[in-house]
Amino acid sequence: MMDDAAPRVSFPTRYRKVLLGSLSVVLFFAAWQAIFLLVPFNPLFISKPSLIASGLVDLITSGDLLRDLAVSAVPFLYGFSAAVVIGVPLGIVMGWRVRVGYALDPLMTVFYASPLVALAPLVVIFFGVGVAGKALIIFFLSVFPFIFNAYAGVRAVDRLLINVVRSLGGSERDLYFKVIFPSVLPYIVAGARIAVGRALIGVLVGEFFAASEGIGYAISRFGDIFALDRMFACIITIMVIAMVLTEGIRWTERTAFPWRSGH
Amino acid sequence: MSEIQVIDANIAAVAPADDLAEPPKGVWQRFEPTILGFGSIVVLLLVWEFLPRLITMQEGTKLFFTVPSEIGGTLWRMFATGAIWAPLGVSASAFAVGLSIAIVVGLPLGVLLGRSATLNAMFDPFITAFNATPRLVFLPLLLLWFGLGLWSKVAVVFIGALFPILINTYEGVRNADRVLINVVRSFGATEWGIARLVVVPNALPYIVVGLRLAIGRAVLGVVVAEFFGSQDGLGVVMVRAASRFQVDVVFAGLIVFAALSLLMTGLVKLLEDRLSRWRPQHISAI
Repeated sequence: MMDDAAPRVSFPTRYRKVLLGSLSVVLFFAAWQAIFLLVPFNPLFISKPSLIASGLVDLITSGDLLRDLAVSAVPFLYGFSAAVVIGVPLGIVMGWRVRVGYALDPLMTVFYASPLVALAPLVVIFFGVGVAGKALIIFFLSVFPFIFNAYAGVRAVDRLLINVVRSLGGSERDLYFKVIFPSVLPYIVAGARIAVGRALIGVLVGEFFAASEGIGYAISRFGDIFALDRMFACIITIMVIAMVLTEGIRWTERTAFPWRSGH
Repeated sequence: MSEIQVIDANIAAVAPADDLAEPPKGVWQRFEPTILGFGSIVVLLLVWEFLPRLITMQEGTKLFFTVPSEIGGTLWRMFATGAIWAPLGVSASAFAVGLSIAIVVGLPLGVLLGRSATLNAMFDPFITAFNATPRLVFLPLLLLWFGLGLWSKVAVVFIGALFPILINTYEGVRNADRVLINVVRSFGATEWGIARLVVVPNALPYIVVGLRLAIGRAVLGVVVAEFFGSQDGLGVVMVRAASRFQVDVVFAGLIVFAALSLLMTGLVKLLEDRLSRWRPQHISAI
Protein backbone atom coordinates (compact mmCIF):
# COMPACT_ATOMS: atom_id res chain seq x y z
CA MET A 1 0.00 0.00 0.00
CA MET A 2 1.05 3.60 0.13
CA ASP A 3 3.31 3.11 3.07
CA ASP A 4 5.31 0.57 1.14
CA ALA A 5 6.88 3.26 -1.00
CA ALA A 6 10.67 3.62 -0.82
CA PRO A 7 11.67 4.42 2.75
CA ARG A 8 12.89 7.92 3.39
CA VAL A 9 16.62 7.85 3.62
CA SER A 10 18.37 10.95 4.82
CA PHE A 11 20.91 12.66 2.61
CA PRO A 12 23.97 11.73 4.70
CA THR A 13 23.00 8.09 4.77
CA ARG A 14 22.46 7.77 1.08
CA TYR A 15 25.60 9.53 0.05
CA ARG A 16 27.62 8.15 2.89
CA LYS A 17 30.36 6.77 0.74
CA VAL A 18 30.89 9.94 -1.27
CA LEU A 19 30.76 12.14 1.82
CA LEU A 20 33.25 10.03 3.71
CA GLY A 21 35.51 9.95 0.71
CA SER A 22 35.42 13.69 0.19
CA LEU A 23 35.94 14.22 3.91
CA SER A 24 39.05 12.10 3.95
CA VAL A 25 40.49 13.88 0.90
CA VAL A 26 39.89 17.27 2.50
CA LEU A 27 41.39 16.06 5.77
CA PHE A 28 44.39 14.72 3.94
CA PHE A 29 45.17 18.03 2.25
CA ALA A 30 44.49 19.97 5.41
CA ALA A 31 46.85 17.74 7.35
CA TRP A 32 49.45 18.06 4.62
CA GLN A 33 49.27 21.83 4.83
CA ALA A 34 49.16 21.95 8.59
CA ILE A 35 51.98 19.55 9.31
CA PHE A 36 54.50 22.20 8.40
CA LEU A 37 53.49 24.15 11.44
CA LEU A 38 55.18 21.40 13.40
CA VAL A 39 57.80 20.15 11.00
CA PRO A 40 60.31 22.39 9.23
CA PHE A 41 59.50 22.96 5.61
CA ASN A 42 62.20 22.20 3.12
CA PRO A 43 61.11 23.48 -0.30
CA LEU A 44 63.75 21.39 -2.00
CA PHE A 45 62.27 18.22 -0.64
CA ILE A 46 58.54 18.63 -0.63
CA SER A 47 55.81 21.12 -1.27
CA LYS A 48 52.57 22.18 0.34
CA PRO A 49 49.06 22.33 -1.06
CA SER A 50 48.99 26.12 -1.04
CA LEU A 51 52.17 26.36 -3.09
CA ILE A 52 51.09 23.55 -5.35
CA ALA A 53 47.81 25.30 -6.02
CA SER A 54 49.51 28.56 -6.92
CA GLY A 55 51.99 26.67 -9.08
CA LEU A 56 49.10 25.01 -10.85
CA VAL A 57 47.41 28.33 -11.47
CA ASP A 58 50.67 29.71 -12.89
CA LEU A 59 51.03 26.79 -15.23
CA ILE A 60 47.47 27.08 -16.44
CA THR A 61 47.50 30.81 -16.98
CA SER A 62 50.81 30.76 -18.77
CA GLY A 63 49.42 28.12 -21.07
CA ASP A 64 52.33 25.80 -20.36
CA LEU A 65 50.17 23.07 -18.91
CA LEU A 66 47.78 22.97 -21.83
CA ARG A 67 50.59 23.00 -24.33
CA ASP A 68 52.44 20.16 -22.63
CA LEU A 69 49.28 18.13 -22.36
CA ALA A 70 48.51 18.73 -26.03
CA VAL A 71 52.00 17.62 -27.03
CA SER A 72 51.65 14.46 -25.00
CA ALA A 73 48.16 13.77 -26.24
CA VAL A 74 49.10 13.47 -29.91
CA PRO A 75 51.12 10.24 -29.73
CA PHE A 76 48.66 8.95 -27.14
CA LEU A 77 45.75 9.35 -29.52
CA TYR A 78 47.60 7.88 -32.48
CA GLY A 79 48.90 4.91 -30.56
CA PHE A 80 45.63 4.24 -28.76
CA SER A 81 43.50 4.48 -31.90
CA ALA A 82 45.87 2.17 -33.72
CA ALA A 83 45.58 -0.25 -30.82
CA VAL A 84 41.79 -0.24 -31.07
CA VAL A 85 41.72 -0.52 -34.84
CA ILE A 86 44.24 -3.36 -34.96
CA GLY A 87 43.65 -5.06 -31.62
CA VAL A 88 39.89 -5.46 -31.64
CA PRO A 89 39.56 -7.06 -35.09
CA LEU A 90 42.52 -9.30 -34.36
CA GLY A 91 40.96 -10.41 -31.11
CA ILE A 92 37.64 -11.03 -32.80
CA VAL A 93 39.24 -13.10 -35.53
CA MET A 94 41.08 -15.09 -32.89
CA GLY A 95 37.83 -15.80 -31.12
CA TRP A 96 35.80 -16.48 -34.22
CA ARG A 97 38.21 -18.74 -36.01
CA VAL A 98 39.17 -21.20 -33.36
CA ARG A 99 42.36 -22.31 -35.07
CA VAL A 100 43.65 -18.78 -35.32
CA GLY A 101 42.95 -18.44 -31.64
CA TYR A 102 44.90 -21.58 -30.83
CA ALA A 103 47.81 -20.45 -32.95
CA LEU A 104 48.08 -16.90 -31.72
CA ASP A 105 47.09 -17.22 -28.08
CA PRO A 106 50.45 -18.39 -26.67
CA LEU A 107 52.28 -15.85 -28.79
CA MET A 108 50.14 -13.02 -27.50
CA THR A 109 50.46 -14.26 -23.95
CA VAL A 110 54.22 -14.20 -24.22
CA PHE A 111 54.09 -10.63 -25.45
CA TYR A 112 51.65 -9.57 -22.77
CA ALA A 113 53.69 -11.13 -20.01
CA SER A 114 57.05 -9.69 -20.94
CA PRO A 115 57.88 -6.16 -19.90
CA LEU A 116 57.59 -4.63 -23.34
CA VAL A 117 58.44 -1.33 -21.78
CA ALA A 118 61.98 -2.64 -21.84
CA LEU A 119 62.03 -2.25 -25.60
CA ALA A 120 61.11 1.43 -25.38
CA PRO A 121 64.72 2.68 -25.57
CA LEU A 122 65.20 0.62 -28.72
CA VAL A 123 62.11 2.08 -30.32
CA VAL A 124 63.15 5.61 -29.51
CA ILE A 125 66.67 5.04 -30.81
CA PHE A 126 65.32 3.54 -34.00
CA PHE A 127 62.46 5.88 -34.70
CA GLY A 128 63.83 9.01 -33.20
CA VAL A 129 62.49 11.42 -30.71
CA GLY A 130 59.31 12.35 -32.54
CA VAL A 131 55.71 11.36 -32.51
CA ALA A 132 56.24 8.12 -34.47
CA GLY A 133 58.42 6.45 -31.87
CA LYS A 134 56.19 7.42 -28.98
CA ALA A 135 53.04 6.41 -30.80
CA LEU A 136 54.62 3.04 -31.51
CA ILE A 137 55.49 2.47 -27.86
CA ILE A 138 51.97 3.41 -26.83
CA PHE A 139 50.55 1.13 -29.51
CA PHE A 140 52.56 -1.87 -28.34
CA LEU A 141 51.66 -1.33 -24.74
CA SER A 142 47.94 -0.80 -25.27
CA VAL A 143 47.12 -3.24 -28.06
CA PHE A 144 47.23 -6.43 -25.97
CA PRO A 145 44.35 -5.69 -23.58
CA PHE A 146 42.19 -5.09 -26.65
CA ILE A 147 43.28 -8.30 -28.32
CA PHE A 148 42.71 -10.44 -25.27
CA ASN A 149 39.46 -8.88 -24.25
CA ALA A 150 37.97 -9.00 -27.74
CA TYR A 151 39.09 -12.64 -27.93
CA ALA A 152 37.48 -13.45 -24.61
CA GLY A 153 34.36 -11.54 -25.57
CA VAL A 154 33.83 -13.51 -28.74
CA ARG A 155 34.52 -16.81 -27.01
CA ALA A 156 32.03 -15.97 -24.31
CA VAL A 157 29.12 -15.39 -26.65
CA ASP A 158 26.46 -17.73 -25.43
CA ARG A 159 25.84 -20.30 -28.14
CA LEU A 160 22.38 -20.83 -26.80
CA LEU A 161 21.53 -17.28 -27.71
CA ILE A 162 22.82 -17.77 -31.23
CA ASN A 163 20.71 -20.88 -31.61
CA VAL A 164 17.66 -19.10 -30.25
CA VAL A 165 17.99 -16.22 -32.68
CA ARG A 166 18.49 -18.63 -35.55
CA SER A 167 15.56 -20.83 -34.62
CA LEU A 168 13.29 -17.81 -34.29
CA GLY A 169 14.14 -16.91 -37.86
CA GLY A 170 16.78 -14.27 -37.31
CA SER A 171 19.08 -13.19 -40.11
CA GLU A 172 22.85 -12.86 -39.96
CA ARG A 173 22.39 -9.19 -39.29
CA ASP A 174 20.12 -9.91 -36.36
CA LEU A 175 22.77 -12.27 -35.08
CA TYR A 176 25.42 -9.62 -35.20
CA PHE A 177 23.42 -6.78 -33.76
CA LYS A 178 21.35 -8.60 -31.21
CA VAL A 179 23.71 -11.22 -29.90
CA ILE A 180 27.35 -10.85 -30.85
CA PHE A 181 27.77 -7.12 -30.65
CA PRO A 182 26.10 -6.63 -27.26
CA SER A 183 28.03 -9.58 -25.96
CA VAL A 184 31.45 -8.46 -27.09
CA LEU A 185 31.13 -4.75 -26.49
CA PRO A 186 31.42 -4.85 -22.67
CA TYR A 187 34.64 -6.79 -22.98
CA ILE A 188 36.08 -4.31 -25.43
CA VAL A 189 35.21 -1.40 -23.18
CA ALA A 190 36.79 -3.18 -20.23
CA GLY A 191 39.83 -3.71 -22.40
CA ALA A 192 39.85 0.00 -23.15
CA ARG A 193 39.93 0.72 -19.47
CA ILE A 194 43.05 -1.39 -18.98
CA ALA A 195 44.62 -0.13 -22.18
CA VAL A 196 44.27 3.50 -21.13
CA GLY A 197 46.45 2.90 -18.09
CA ARG A 198 49.09 1.16 -20.12
CA ALA A 199 48.99 3.82 -22.82
CA LEU A 200 49.63 6.50 -20.20
CA ILE A 201 52.67 4.56 -19.06
CA GLY A 202 53.81 4.53 -22.66
CA VAL A 203 53.47 8.31 -22.89
CA LEU A 204 55.57 8.82 -19.80
CA VAL A 205 58.22 6.28 -20.74
CA GLY A 206 58.66 7.87 -24.13
CA GLU A 207 58.95 11.30 -22.61
CA PHE A 208 61.25 10.44 -19.77
CA PHE A 209 63.57 8.75 -22.11
CA ALA A 210 63.86 11.28 -24.88
CA ALA A 211 61.76 14.35 -25.15
CA SER A 212 61.92 18.06 -25.07
CA GLU A 213 58.29 18.75 -24.39
CA GLY A 214 55.24 17.11 -23.03
CA ILE A 215 53.88 16.61 -19.57
CA GLY A 216 56.24 13.81 -18.61
CA TYR A 217 59.19 15.88 -19.66
CA ALA A 218 57.77 18.77 -17.65
CA ILE A 219 57.69 16.63 -14.53
CA SER A 220 61.27 15.52 -14.85
CA ARG A 221 62.43 19.00 -15.78
CA PHE A 222 60.74 20.54 -12.76
CA GLY A 223 62.34 17.87 -10.68
CA ASP A 224 65.75 18.74 -12.04
CA ILE A 225 65.39 22.37 -11.14
CA PHE A 226 63.79 21.50 -7.80
CA ALA A 227 60.60 23.39 -8.62
CA LEU A 228 58.73 21.00 -6.37
CA ASP A 229 55.49 22.95 -6.41
CA ARG A 230 55.10 22.78 -10.18
CA MET A 231 56.27 19.21 -10.21
CA PHE A 232 53.56 18.21 -7.76
CA ALA A 233 51.07 20.27 -9.75
CA CYS A 234 51.88 18.31 -12.91
CA ILE A 235 51.80 15.00 -11.08
CA ILE A 236 48.40 15.78 -9.65
CA THR A 237 47.19 16.86 -13.09
CA ILE A 238 48.16 13.52 -14.56
CA MET A 239 46.56 11.70 -11.65
CA VAL A 240 43.33 13.55 -12.21
CA ILE A 241 43.39 12.87 -15.95
CA ALA A 242 44.14 9.20 -15.41
CA MET A 243 41.40 8.92 -12.85
CA VAL A 244 38.86 10.72 -15.01
CA LEU A 245 39.63 8.50 -18.00
CA THR A 246 39.60 5.25 -16.06
CA GLU A 247 36.58 6.00 -13.89
CA GLY A 248 34.79 7.51 -16.86
CA ILE A 249 35.13 4.27 -18.76
CA ARG A 250 34.11 2.32 -15.69
CA TRP A 251 31.01 4.48 -15.33
CA THR A 252 30.21 3.90 -18.99
CA GLU A 253 30.54 0.19 -18.39
CA ARG A 254 28.14 0.32 -15.49
CA THR A 255 25.47 2.38 -17.19
CA ALA A 256 25.71 1.00 -20.70
CA PHE A 257 26.14 -2.62 -19.69
CA PRO A 258 24.28 -3.04 -16.42
CA TRP A 259 24.16 -6.77 -16.83
CA ARG A 260 27.90 -7.04 -16.47
CA SER A 261 29.43 -6.66 -13.06
CA GLY A 262 32.84 -5.76 -14.33
CA HIS A 263 35.85 -5.48 -12.11
CA MET B 1 43.96 -10.82 -16.90
CA SER B 2 41.48 -11.51 -14.14
CA GLU B 3 38.57 -10.66 -16.37
CA ILE B 4 39.56 -13.23 -18.91
CA GLN B 5 40.04 -15.97 -16.38
CA VAL B 6 36.63 -15.32 -14.84
CA ILE B 7 35.15 -15.89 -18.25
CA ASP B 8 36.78 -19.30 -18.63
CA ALA B 9 35.39 -20.51 -15.35
CA ASN B 10 31.94 -19.24 -16.28
CA ILE B 11 31.95 -20.85 -19.70
CA ALA B 12 32.91 -24.15 -18.23
CA ALA B 13 30.09 -23.91 -15.76
CA VAL B 14 27.43 -22.76 -18.17
CA ALA B 15 28.13 -24.32 -21.56
CA PRO B 16 25.63 -27.12 -22.07
CA ALA B 17 27.40 -30.24 -23.11
CA ASP B 18 24.56 -32.08 -24.80
CA ASP B 19 23.64 -31.15 -28.37
CA LEU B 20 26.61 -28.81 -28.74
CA ALA B 21 29.01 -31.55 -27.82
CA GLU B 22 31.63 -32.49 -30.33
CA PRO B 23 32.44 -36.01 -31.40
CA PRO B 24 35.08 -37.77 -29.30
CA LYS B 25 38.43 -36.18 -29.87
CA GLY B 26 41.18 -37.88 -31.75
CA VAL B 27 44.85 -37.37 -31.03
CA TRP B 28 45.19 -34.51 -33.47
CA GLN B 29 42.22 -32.65 -32.09
CA ARG B 30 43.37 -33.00 -28.56
CA PHE B 31 46.79 -31.64 -29.18
CA GLU B 32 45.79 -29.20 -31.85
CA PRO B 33 45.85 -26.12 -29.62
CA THR B 34 49.29 -26.89 -28.27
CA ILE B 35 50.69 -27.76 -31.67
CA LEU B 36 49.28 -24.67 -33.31
CA GLY B 37 50.44 -22.53 -30.45
CA PHE B 38 53.97 -23.81 -30.41
CA GLY B 39 54.00 -23.97 -34.15
CA SER B 40 53.25 -20.32 -34.60
CA ILE B 41 55.97 -19.32 -32.16
CA VAL B 42 58.45 -21.56 -33.92
CA VAL B 43 57.45 -20.22 -37.32
CA LEU B 44 57.82 -16.66 -36.10
CA LEU B 45 61.29 -17.39 -34.73
CA LEU B 46 62.34 -19.07 -37.96
CA VAL B 47 61.10 -16.22 -40.12
CA TRP B 48 62.87 -13.77 -37.86
CA GLU B 49 66.06 -15.78 -38.00
CA PHE B 50 66.20 -16.01 -41.76
CA LEU B 51 64.82 -12.60 -42.61
CA PRO B 52 68.22 -10.94 -43.04
CA ARG B 53 69.19 -13.62 -45.53
CA LEU B 54 66.00 -13.35 -47.50
CA ILE B 55 65.74 -9.62 -47.93
CA THR B 56 68.38 -7.00 -48.15
CA MET B 57 68.18 -4.34 -45.53
CA GLN B 58 69.55 -0.87 -45.48
CA GLU B 59 72.75 -0.36 -43.59
CA GLY B 60 71.02 1.52 -40.83
CA THR B 61 68.57 -1.24 -40.15
CA LYS B 62 71.28 -3.86 -40.27
CA LEU B 63 72.93 -2.16 -37.35
CA PHE B 64 69.82 -2.80 -35.31
CA PHE B 65 68.71 -6.09 -36.49
CA THR B 66 69.33 -9.08 -34.36
CA VAL B 67 68.22 -12.64 -34.78
CA PRO B 68 67.14 -15.28 -32.32
CA SER B 69 70.37 -17.21 -32.63
CA GLU B 70 72.35 -14.14 -31.63
CA ILE B 71 70.04 -13.49 -28.74
CA GLY B 72 70.34 -17.08 -27.64
CA GLY B 73 74.11 -16.89 -27.89
CA THR B 74 74.22 -13.72 -25.86
CA LEU B 75 71.96 -15.20 -23.21
CA TRP B 76 74.17 -18.25 -23.00
CA ARG B 77 77.27 -16.14 -22.75
CA MET B 78 75.77 -13.96 -20.07
CA PHE B 79 75.00 -16.97 -17.94
CA ALA B 80 78.15 -18.88 -18.74
CA THR B 81 80.47 -16.04 -17.87
CA GLY B 82 78.40 -15.23 -14.84
CA ALA B 83 78.11 -11.64 -15.97
CA ILE B 84 74.41 -11.78 -15.45
CA TRP B 85 74.32 -12.61 -11.79
CA ALA B 86 75.44 -9.30 -10.33
CA PRO B 87 72.96 -7.06 -12.15
CA LEU B 88 70.23 -9.65 -11.87
CA GLY B 89 70.85 -9.88 -8.17
CA VAL B 90 70.45 -6.14 -7.77
CA SER B 91 67.24 -6.11 -9.78
CA ALA B 92 65.87 -9.19 -8.09
CA SER B 93 66.54 -7.82 -4.63
CA ALA B 94 64.72 -4.58 -5.40
CA PHE B 95 61.86 -6.68 -6.76
CA ALA B 96 61.78 -8.94 -3.72
CA VAL B 97 61.98 -6.18 -1.13
CA GLY B 98 59.34 -4.06 -2.85
CA LEU B 99 56.99 -6.99 -3.32
CA SER B 100 57.39 -8.15 0.27
CA ILE B 101 56.62 -4.73 1.68
CA ALA B 102 53.60 -4.51 -0.62
CA ILE B 103 52.33 -7.87 0.66
CA VAL B 104 52.95 -7.00 4.29
CA VAL B 105 51.09 -3.71 3.91
CA GLY B 106 48.50 -4.75 1.36
CA LEU B 107 47.11 -7.95 2.84
CA PRO B 108 46.18 -6.68 6.31
CA LEU B 109 44.99 -3.37 4.91
CA GLY B 110 42.86 -5.18 2.35
CA VAL B 111 41.28 -7.31 5.03
CA LEU B 112 40.68 -4.26 7.18
CA LEU B 113 39.08 -2.32 4.37
CA GLY B 114 36.96 -5.27 3.44
CA ARG B 115 35.58 -5.64 6.92
CA SER B 116 34.98 -1.96 7.64
CA ALA B 117 32.80 -0.07 5.22
CA THR B 118 33.67 3.24 6.83
CA LEU B 119 37.39 2.79 6.41
CA ASN B 120 36.80 1.65 2.89
CA ALA B 121 34.83 4.76 2.01
CA MET B 122 37.57 6.92 3.44
CA PHE B 123 40.42 5.22 1.62
CA ASP B 124 38.58 4.75 -1.63
CA PRO B 125 39.40 8.06 -3.37
CA PHE B 126 43.10 7.59 -2.72
CA ILE B 127 43.14 4.01 -3.87
CA THR B 128 41.23 4.85 -7.03
CA ALA B 129 43.50 7.77 -7.78
CA PHE B 130 46.73 5.88 -7.23
CA ASN B 131 45.53 2.80 -9.00
CA ALA B 132 44.53 4.64 -12.14
CA THR B 133 47.72 6.65 -12.27
CA PRO B 134 50.75 5.29 -14.07
CA ARG B 135 53.21 5.00 -11.23
CA LEU B 136 55.95 6.13 -13.55
CA VAL B 137 54.68 9.63 -12.91
CA PHE B 138 56.09 9.47 -9.41
CA LEU B 139 59.53 8.39 -10.48
CA PRO B 140 61.21 11.82 -10.66
CA LEU B 141 59.80 12.62 -7.24
CA LEU B 142 60.98 9.32 -5.84
CA LEU B 143 64.41 9.85 -7.30
CA LEU B 144 64.51 13.22 -5.61
CA TRP B 145 63.59 11.66 -2.29
CA PHE B 146 65.46 8.39 -2.35
CA GLY B 147 68.32 8.99 -4.70
CA LEU B 148 69.59 6.65 -7.35
CA GLY B 149 69.98 3.56 -5.25
CA LEU B 150 67.93 0.65 -4.10
CA TRP B 151 65.18 2.51 -2.31
CA SER B 152 63.76 4.46 -5.20
CA LYS B 153 63.41 1.17 -7.08
CA VAL B 154 61.80 -0.43 -4.05
CA ALA B 155 59.38 2.49 -3.83
CA VAL B 156 58.33 2.14 -7.48
CA VAL B 157 57.89 -1.62 -7.09
CA PHE B 158 55.96 -1.10 -3.86
CA ILE B 159 53.51 1.36 -5.40
CA GLY B 160 52.99 -0.89 -8.37
CA ALA B 161 52.50 -4.08 -6.43
CA LEU B 162 50.46 -2.70 -3.53
CA PHE B 163 47.26 -1.93 -5.36
CA PRO B 164 46.46 -5.24 -7.02
CA ILE B 165 47.08 -6.96 -3.69
CA LEU B 166 45.03 -4.43 -1.77
CA ILE B 167 42.12 -4.32 -4.15
CA ASN B 168 41.90 -8.03 -4.71
CA THR B 169 42.17 -8.83 -1.01
CA TYR B 170 39.44 -6.32 -0.35
CA GLU B 171 37.21 -7.88 -3.00
CA GLY B 172 37.87 -11.32 -1.62
CA VAL B 173 37.04 -10.29 1.90
CA ARG B 174 33.86 -8.56 0.83
CA ASN B 175 32.71 -11.65 -1.00
CA ALA B 176 33.11 -13.88 1.99
CA ASP B 177 30.08 -16.05 2.51
CA ARG B 178 27.75 -14.31 4.94
CA VAL B 179 26.10 -17.51 5.97
CA LEU B 180 29.40 -18.98 7.07
CA ILE B 181 30.27 -15.83 8.95
CA ASN B 182 26.97 -15.93 10.79
CA VAL B 183 27.42 -19.57 11.64
CA VAL B 184 30.86 -18.99 13.05
CA ARG B 185 29.65 -15.95 14.94
CA SER B 186 26.75 -17.80 16.47
CA PHE B 187 29.25 -20.30 17.79
CA GLY B 188 30.94 -17.46 19.60
CA ALA B 189 33.89 -16.52 17.43
CA THR B 190 35.59 -13.17 17.81
CA GLU B 191 36.41 -10.88 14.89
CA TRP B 192 39.83 -12.41 14.74
CA GLY B 193 38.30 -15.88 14.69
CA ILE B 194 35.96 -14.92 11.91
CA ALA B 195 38.83 -13.56 9.91
CA ARG B 196 40.91 -16.66 10.44
CA LEU B 197 38.23 -19.28 9.85
CA VAL B 198 36.05 -17.82 7.15
CA VAL B 199 37.21 -14.62 5.60
CA VAL B 200 40.83 -15.36 4.78
CA PRO B 201 40.29 -18.87 3.37
CA ASN B 202 37.42 -17.58 1.25
CA ALA B 203 39.44 -14.71 -0.01
CA LEU B 204 42.37 -16.89 -1.03
CA PRO B 205 41.60 -17.15 -4.75
CA TYR B 206 41.21 -13.41 -4.97
CA ILE B 207 44.43 -12.84 -3.08
CA VAL B 208 46.22 -15.16 -5.45
CA VAL B 209 44.99 -13.25 -8.46
CA GLY B 210 46.12 -10.07 -6.76
CA LEU B 211 49.55 -11.59 -6.21
CA ARG B 212 49.84 -12.59 -9.83
CA LEU B 213 48.96 -9.09 -11.01
CA ALA B 214 51.31 -7.64 -8.43
CA ILE B 215 54.22 -9.73 -9.66
CA GLY B 216 53.74 -8.52 -13.21
CA ARG B 217 53.61 -4.95 -12.06
CA ALA B 218 56.58 -5.41 -9.78
CA VAL B 219 58.76 -6.64 -12.66
CA LEU B 220 57.62 -3.69 -14.76
CA GLY B 221 58.44 -1.42 -11.87
CA VAL B 222 61.98 -2.73 -11.57
CA VAL B 223 62.62 -2.43 -15.30
CA VAL B 224 61.26 1.07 -15.52
CA ALA B 225 62.93 2.31 -12.36
CA GLU B 226 66.24 0.99 -13.56
CA PHE B 227 65.93 2.59 -16.96
CA PHE B 228 65.68 6.06 -15.65
CA GLY B 229 67.19 6.28 -12.27
CA SER B 230 69.77 3.78 -11.41
CA GLN B 231 73.37 2.87 -11.71
CA ASP B 232 73.26 -0.86 -11.55
CA GLY B 233 70.85 -3.64 -12.21
CA LEU B 234 69.76 -5.56 -15.26
CA GLY B 235 67.63 -2.71 -16.56
CA VAL B 236 70.63 -0.42 -16.52
CA VAL B 237 72.59 -3.02 -18.48
CA MET B 238 69.78 -3.06 -21.03
CA VAL B 239 69.60 0.69 -21.42
CA ARG B 240 73.32 0.99 -21.84
CA ALA B 241 73.32 -1.81 -24.37
CA ALA B 242 70.51 -0.10 -26.26
CA SER B 243 72.50 3.07 -26.59
CA ARG B 244 75.40 1.03 -27.91
CA PHE B 245 73.13 -0.67 -30.41
CA GLN B 246 73.64 -4.05 -28.77
CA VAL B 247 70.11 -5.06 -29.47
CA ASP B 248 70.76 -8.71 -28.68
CA VAL B 249 71.66 -7.81 -25.10
CA VAL B 250 68.43 -5.84 -24.79
CA PHE B 251 66.35 -8.78 -25.92
CA ALA B 252 68.32 -11.15 -23.73
CA GLY B 253 67.57 -8.95 -20.74
CA LEU B 254 63.92 -8.84 -21.70
CA ILE B 255 63.83 -12.63 -21.79
CA VAL B 256 65.44 -12.84 -18.37
CA PHE B 257 62.88 -10.48 -16.88
CA ALA B 258 60.02 -12.32 -18.53
CA ALA B 259 61.40 -15.59 -17.18
CA LEU B 260 61.61 -14.10 -13.70
CA SER B 261 58.01 -13.03 -13.95
CA LEU B 262 56.88 -16.45 -15.16
CA LEU B 263 58.88 -18.17 -12.44
CA MET B 264 57.31 -16.09 -9.70
CA THR B 265 53.85 -16.58 -11.14
CA GLY B 266 54.45 -20.31 -11.25
CA LEU B 267 55.49 -20.28 -7.61
CA VAL B 268 52.32 -18.43 -6.70
CA LYS B 269 50.28 -21.00 -8.57
CA LEU B 270 51.99 -23.81 -6.66
CA LEU B 271 51.28 -22.03 -3.42
CA GLU B 272 47.69 -21.57 -4.40
CA ASP B 273 47.23 -25.21 -5.31
CA ARG B 274 48.77 -26.23 -2.02
CA LEU B 275 46.53 -23.92 -0.01
CA SER B 276 43.35 -24.71 -1.92
CA ARG B 277 43.35 -28.44 -1.34
CA TRP B 278 40.39 -28.25 0.96
CA ARG B 279 38.16 -26.77 -1.71
CA PRO B 280 35.45 -29.07 -3.06
CA GLN B 281 35.30 -27.71 -6.57
CA HIS B 282 38.62 -26.65 -7.93
CA ILE B 283 37.99 -23.22 -9.40
CA SER B 284 41.67 -22.45 -9.41
CA ALA B 285 41.43 -19.54 -11.79
CA ILE B 286 39.13 -16.75 -10.81
